[in-house]
Amino acid sequence: MLTIDDLAKYPFLRKASSFVESYGLTFQDLVNDEYYYVVQRAVERVKCGIRGRWAELNVVDPETEILSYPLALAFVYGLRQGWVVRRFANSEQKRCFELLKNEDKDKVAEVGKDGFDWDLEGTELMVSGALFDFSLPVENYLEVAPSFHSPDWKLVNRHVTGGRVYLKQVEAARLLSEALKLKILRKAEEEYIKKFQMPERLLSKLEGLEKLVKEIKIYDEDAAVEIIEEAKPPCIVALLKDLADGKSLSHMARFTVTTFLINTGESVENVLKYFSNVADFDEGKARYQVEHIAGLIGSKTKYVPPKCDVLRSFGLCIGGDAYCKKVRHPLQYYKMRAREIKRKKGWEKGA
Amino acid sequence: MHKEVAKAFKEYYQTLDVNELVVKDLQEREIALIPIGHETMIRHMAFPETIALKEHLVENVPAHLYYSSAYYKEPQSPDMNKKGWKGADLIFDVDADHIPTPCKADHDTWTCLDCATKGAGFPPEICPKCSMKRIETTTWVCDRCLEVAKEEVFKLIDEYLIPDFGVSLKDVEVCFSGHRGYHLHVQTEDLKMLTTDGRREIADYVRGVGLDPRHQGFRIMRDGSITGPDLRDGGWRGRFAKSVYTYLSRCTFEELKVVVGSDDVANIIMRNKERLLRGIMANPPSWMGLRGVELGRTIRIAKAAVRDVLCNIDERVTIDVKRLIRYPNTLHGKSGLKAAKVSYSDLESFDPLKDAVVFKSGSIKVYVKEAPRVRIGDYEVGPMKDVQLEVPEGLGIYLLCKGAAELRE
Repeated sequence: MLTIDDLAKYPFLRKASSFVESYGLTFQDLVNDEYYYVVQRAVERVKCGIRGRWAELNVVDPETEILSYPLALAFVYGLRQGWVVRRFANSEQKRCFELLKNEDKDKVAEVGKDGFDWDLEGTELMVSGALFDFSLPVENYLEVAPSFHSPDWKLVNRHVTGGRVYLKQVEAARLLSEALKLKILRKAEEEYIKKFQMPERLLSKLEGLEKLVKEIKIYDEDAAVEIIEEAKPPCIVALLKDLADGKSLSHMARFTVTTFLINTGESVENVLKYFSNVADFDEGKARYQVEHIAGLIGSKTKYVPPKCDVLRSFGLCIGGDAYCKKVRHPLQYYKMRAREIKRKKGWEKGA
Repeated sequence: MHKEVAKAFKEYYQTLDVNELVVKDLQEREIALIPIGHETMIRHMAFPETIALKEHLVENVPAHLYYSSAYYKEPQSPDMNKKGWKGADLIFDVDADHIPTPCKADHDTWTCLDCATKGAGFPPEICPKCSMKRIETTTWVCDRCLEVAKEEVFKLIDEYLIPDFGVSLKDVEVCFSGHRGYHLHVQTEDLKMLTTDGRREIADYVRGVGLDPRHQGFRIMRDGSITGPDLRDGGWRGRFAKSVYTYLSRCTFEELKVVVGSDDVANIIMRNKERLLRGIMANPPSWMGLRGVELGRTIRIAKAAVRDVLCNIDERVTIDVKRLIRYPNTLHGKSGLKAAKVSYSDLESFDPLKDAVVFKSGSIKVYVKEAPRVRIGDYEVGPMKDVQLEVPEGLGIYLLCKGAAELRE
């Protein structure tokens, strides 16, 4: 059975939402003095998120803890900044993980059921030296596990039998808390959330948070582009070399290279130059395709390169280097290395 | 395509029992076809029931008919974003094209489109002469290829889908692809909503991609000795134990030497073989027979041992959540064979080159440009080049569909 203290720990549960609904509150009502602490707590949670810390559990007043969660989410979505949502999702994930790690097994299973419709089941299975605490259906596991980078989480490296995946408690906690993070992130993409307007009477609070957001924002994601050659990942470097040598590439290879160049800020003209050595180069056709990919014509969708997994499937991954181990996408590689190179250059200048 | 083939295909669809066209939730699937004599695919069709589909096929005889692995709210919508994805079957494509069998040298050839270099057998990824990647292949099948593909299907079902994924046989539909392999359609509510990433994990699981024996019971104990999994374990643990047992019981010293990279270590293992095998079989198992062998080398043995139990599937098909795949029990325009549904119990005795032949009346005269040895039904002919033949209808249609022959009145 989930108690009110449990709902305070896991306010994302359906039962917690019902609890909030039972108050019959609107956002307008929250401005009243009697809910002063709820608003305060919500603001605190969001601030913790923005600062990259996790909000410690406040069990003294479980009601405030539960009521503050949906309001905190409203603030986060209301701020309309991708990185704020990501940071908040991370802080809630960490908080949830720390709590679930040492939770009673029955409770963990209930959190899985009520929060994510997972059929998590407590067990004590010993196989070849490993002791597992939980099992869950493959399809539940695969809702989340592919977002982890470590090979430990690949299904092929798990104990899978009878349609169920076996986990230790700390792993179940990690998986559930990641599911929470994804839920928060995905919700931000929904249309009604994007259109959500914060009620006027709460705007003053939101403005306070906006100030903090501006202070904290250390780097500008949309800073002017400068192409950094050394930051390109090995797969792209290899494809560019093939192009320079005049080799004709497969459809997937051409798509990868074009989307990569466009997304790092190269102009259509520059991209075409890379292809000009290829034997069957037809400028008219190539320009049409590059402009299409860049989202200038056609469906106006700007395409991004395939992620590492896909490149691997198509045989375009050439093994990679130490940086590749840390990333899942060629653009992520580029951004990471470009930042590092820029920082280094900055130091050199400074020194 | 030849008139004769078009006529035969039309007759097939005219006389086809509508029950043969029954698929799960037809009304939610996108239907697509390539009409006979055309290259482009007509997409975004939907049919409320099989009878309507059959009528359409008789009027617009297809060389190839496809349906979506996905279920949609509006399967006929031409805008993929407006179709309303409701889930998809989990598909496995086992194709002899992807399995390097020795018989390929007898019936397959490849040509580099850049320098015209030719060769026989499994095509290289890049041309050995000019290093270009545009390789064109001419492929045929033989009993050997199809037998290997069938073994893969059994492996997939018996070793993975049933024991590890808990899938029941009633939810698995096996179809001959109509050409060089088989399609497996897993139709369970549980797996229907899997994303591309989730499906990739399943494809990697059966292909052993990223498989690390250290996560499946192989480790170093406190006293420095090696231990491994139990034959009775489920999943990859049990598979490793069984495979290592089988591998060690039949590998030669020379093979083992290459795998472990050391004469001395291979010697130790060969000397201890009996003890080692007994240990793996024991309950609980003992891997003490590997005393003195480092974990790294044990891992290499384990990886070599499972090579034969990995599934050879085209993972691109499995990870695609919106795949158009051949419609069961319809004709394949490049072979004239039927993409027949085969029940699991009939699969063992299923002979695609006989049981998927639908044209069986009389004989036709053809002029064969070039073909390797071919069998259709009980009739076998070839290899042949520039010959005129009178052959049974099924074989004639097959050669015409393959583009290897022309009709002679």
